[in-house]
Amino acid sequence: MGKRSFYLSVLVFIFFSCGNKQENKPATDIPSVKDSVPKNKPIGKERSLVPVDISPLDQVYWPENYPTSKMAGQAKSTDPIARVIYSRPHLQGRHIFHEVLKYGEPWRLGANESTELDLHQSLKIQGQKIPAGRYVIYCIPQKDHWTVYLNSNTDSWGLEPDRSKDLYHFDIPVITTDNAIEYFTMRFEENSKGASLLMAWDNIEARLPMEFD
Amino acid sequence: MAGPEVVTAKIVLNGRIIGFRQFKKNYFCPVSFNLQTFQMKKLLGLIVIFQLVFLSLVAQNGYPAIDKSPMDMAYFPVGYPVLKIQDKATDPLVARVIYSRPSRGGRAIFNGLVKNGEVWRLGANEATEIQFFQTVHIDGKKIRSGRYTLYAIVKDNAWTIIFNKENDTWGSFKYDTKKDVLRTDVNTQKTDALVENLSMVFEKTATGCNLNIAWENTKVSLPITF
Repeated sequence: MGKRSFYLSVLVFIFFSCGNKQENKPATDIPSVKDSVPKNKPIGKERSLVPVDISPLDQVYWPENYPTSKMAGQAKSTDPIARVIYSRPHLQGRHIFHEVLKYGEPWRLGANESTELDLHQSLKIQGQKIPAGRYVIYCIPQKDHWTVYLNSNTDSWGLEPDRSKDLYHFDIPVITTDNAIEYFTMRFEENSKGASLLMAWDNIEARLPMEFD
Repeated sequence: MAGPEVVTAKIVLNGRIIGFRQFKKNYFCPVSFNLQTFQMKKLLGLIVIFQLVFLSLVAQNGYPAIDKSPMDMAYFPVGYPVLKIQDKATDPLVARVIYSRPSRGGRAIFNGLVKNGEVWRLGANEATEIQFFQTVHIDGKKIRSGRYTLYAIVKDNAWTIIFNKENDTWGSFKYDTKKDVLRTDVNTQKTDALVENLSMVFEKTATGCNLNIAWENTKVSLPITF
């Protein structure tokens, strides 16, 4: 009996591993475009009209998973509180410091276009009232803290933020973790006062606390 | 990281998400259940085949993984963000589309995965969003600046493109015709080559721009004037 169940579990494991491999098969037409190259360049033999970006765009909502809650009829409000639209670069064997980012130099908190923070209602960050609206969010990382900037130059490419359009800035602590994260990740972590916007990559995590106004 | 490590698994029936279930995160917790139904004429019953797709060892510490259908966006003027930082943006920003890009993956798309006559989300995951930064006209009707959700009803010769006011939603599962702002029909064209990933791009015209949408071997152009 013991032997039989052992073989069975091995079979089950192989079955699931196979399914898993299929699920994670990378898209075949991801081109190796440089980070700062615009996306509308035709590439590949079985082409996509627009090539799929190596640092895919993604969005995160506060409340978390708002669109699925809305679909399920469980959304508590007609609008979400906030949304971040950002691109997700990956490490590909590099280290975040100093192979990708340098201390003291602005980083777009993503790739390609500037990262966008949409607020559907006014919020408070470190006591400062932030009106509803669309903002560019970027940071200047330092070894022991990051300075996060909200900027009004929306719909811009993220390489060199227009510092004359900075509206607010906030110093936040960073922590070092044991687990390295391959893809840059942002998410709203909800709490009783509001939510913290988590920014995590490699073994670095920074959180920008946002409070209900 | 803070909080319990929980993974939300999708329950997928014949390619449609029909629900979600949460699991405590470990290497063998499922990320989705794919169910397939086969109509058995003789047995007059349904046989449901489960395919459990399990979390990969490389999935990141319970953080959101990279989507299989990555999101992307398209601007008009084309490449506006780059033009803006180069001080070359002479025309004002008019429109932006945010959509997810499913890949063909060898499947038959039109009249296969996307059924003729059904409302389709024109993407994957979250509903596809179009934002206008000024008033535009489509099919002679005025559309004010703002965010809209895009849907399509696909047929062989023409697609109906739908602008709907319910934003920040998922797919077309809660599509409500009462929130439609505009419906317009556009003729389909054949593409020169197979288009692997759903693609959207704006193209300048004499009176404004076209929103070109292509996937598999089909392309449509939606004229927008301003």
